[in-house]
Amino acid sequence: MAKIEFQKVCKSFGQTKVIENLDLTIEDGKFTVLVGSSGCGKTTLLRMIAGIGPATSGRIFMDGKDITDVPPEKRDIAMVFQNYAIYPTMSVRENIEFGLKNRKVPKAERARLIEEYSEIVGLTEYLDRKPSQLSGGQRQRVALARAMVKKPAVFLMDEPLSNLDAKLRAAMRVELIELQRRLGTTFVYVTHDQVEAMSMADTIVLMEKGEIQQVGAPEEIYHEPNNVFAAQFIGTPPMNIMEMSGGSRVGFRPEKVVLGDRPDVQMPIRMRGTIATREMLGAETQYKVVLKSGATIMVKSPDEGFREGAAVCAMVPAPDVHFFDAKGQHIGHGGPADLLKAAGGMNDA
Amino acid sequence: MLERTPEMRALARRSRNRRWRGYALSWMMILPAMIFLILFVIYPVFNMGNMSLYRGNATNPYKEFLGLDNYHRLFFVKEDFYNALGNTALYTVGALISVMVFSLLFAQWMYKKRKLNNIAQTVFFTPHLVAGVSAGFIWSWLMSSQSYGLFNSVLTAIGLPEVHWLDSSAMAMPSIIIMNTWKSIGYYALIILSSMKNIPDEIYEAARLDSASSVKTFFKITLPMISPQLFFLLITITTGSFKVFDSVRIMTNGGPGDSTRVLSMYIYDYAFQRNNTLGYACAAGMVMLLIMIIITIIDFAFVEKKVHYQ
Repeated sequence: MAKIEFQKVCKSFGQTKVIENLDLTIEDGKFTVLVGSSGCGKTTLLRMIAGIGPATSGRIFMDGKDITDVPPEKRDIAMVFQNYAIYPTMSVRENIEFGLKNRKVPKAERARLIEEYSEIVGLTEYLDRKPSQLSGGQRQRVALARAMVKKPAVFLMDEPLSNLDAKLRAAMRVELIELQRRLGTTFVYVTHDQVEAMSMADTIVLMEKGEIQQVGAPEEIYHEPNNVFAAQFIGTPPMNIMEMSGGSRVGFRPEKVVLGDRPDVQMPIRMRGTIATREMLGAETQYKVVLKSGATIMVKSPDEGFREGAAVCAMVPAPDVHFFDAKGQHIGHGGPADLLKAAGGMNDA
Repeated sequence: MLERTPEMRALARRSRNRRWRGYALSWMMILPAMIFLILFVIYPVFNMGNMSLYRGNATNPYKEFLGLDNYHRLFFVKEDFYNALGNTALYTVGALISVMVFSLLFAQWMYKKRKLNNIAQTVFFTPHLVAGVSAGFIWSWLMSSQSYGLFNSVLTAIGLPEVHWLDSSAMAMPSIIIMNTWKSIGYYALIILSSMKNIPDEIYEAARLDSASSVKTFFKITLPMISPQLFFLLITITTGSFKVFDSVRIMTNGGPGDSTRVLSMYIYDYAFQRNNTLGYACAAGMVMLLIMIIITIIDFAFVEKKVHYQ
């Protein structure tokens, strides 16, 4: 188990600065997910922890010990790569054993560990197979077993589920969460998939262009986004953001919109529009509404009764309205009254 | 069983027709290659086998039928065939080891990105483009023990004793191996390098995280992953070395003594330099062909098991 701290970390590839002056603390024993669009620097950060892509400047600490210049093999970490990076010429057993042999673990102990961990990931029957004879999910498990058998203080995972099909991905997600709970080890997990981040993380680190946008529990980021980027990155469909006069913006989540035939004056935001598309998702229905102003918003509603082309009134209750300043920073939600009133300027119903 | 309706029969006939057309097309595609193979490989081999049963020369190969007498003389009467065979084996093993090892080392060295690499690659590849005969001449000059021999001039200049590169029976064969290694290293290193570059970086990173030393990484990861290319090299270098001729002919002409007389030179001598021994040379050629076939079969039977195909 270990806590990881980044202090004033910078990373450039040639002339391109990827990360500048980044500070971050990753809590001990927690499942931390680094999430962001591709090229945001999340994998770069992970590789710094692993020691396979050193920082250009700044320091990294693990449990208070400076590991900035410690080579990867001397760090107490294990990593699962996006393409698994299992050794194709070795059998499953040899793959798991390779690191143990290199660390001079005695033979009997190795056999015991291999048995134990192949059992955990359900690969006991496949130990003598070559990776080419395994399915994607099984290869993934080999990579996991190889990482787990090290009993590392920190587990690093770089989009480990992105090559699996949707069903397997959902199953592996649950397994990884269980695994983390059972081992109690620090997990640092990189993904571009916000659903994965939301469902797995104790803490989400949301990144964009090498900068951390927000650190927090999934609920916190969802309900209290720091800025427009966080509000729009998390959630499907993303938060509706509309510009008000003066450059500040108002936002509301699609599922908070109330659709009705006629305006309810209790609601601070009331806008007329037409249903453009309707997607029946089962428990709820997703509508695309074209407002009279020409803007479009997404609405998620338990009411499946609205048809395409129907004229509706979209309304948002006061507590669910978010406000962002001209720079996109969150300045509050539900109030204050003057802002709500300003937002009312958009009303046409 | 169901009665076969006319429709079913027509369907079966159509699929039979289609299959036949497939065969015809595929044979047509390989026909040109087959014609060349038969004309220039299969027929000459049979012809050589036939000639090996006769005494004769290039103008009249079938002077006198001897049966297997040429083979008998080859193995049991004349001693020089074994000498040639031994020299060839020595050259093949030496060249194989030296070309493989140095190409691997060179490829490994080139693997890291450097500005120097493009120049180094060109410098090492150029010898491959030089004709064997020219290369032989250049190296005869470099290794000459006359006053214009560059290597020995340098050696004496820095106070070291001269080396009898080509005119001592102990050094002549190693010298030819050195020259042929120089000539082919760039080409083979290029093949190895391109297969090394196909190994994903992540595998190496995983190995680092698995605390593998660089030596271990090389032997446990790099080598197995490029084994298909190495196997290809093994076959081509072995068969190529077995047929070595031009460099030996130019640099030593089989000497000093018979210390560098390899099989193909031996065959050449008996076929074209002496009288009425064409059949005898053909017999030696047949034996050489047989040995190469056996070596290749052994390679495929035993070595290929160690090869990892993706």
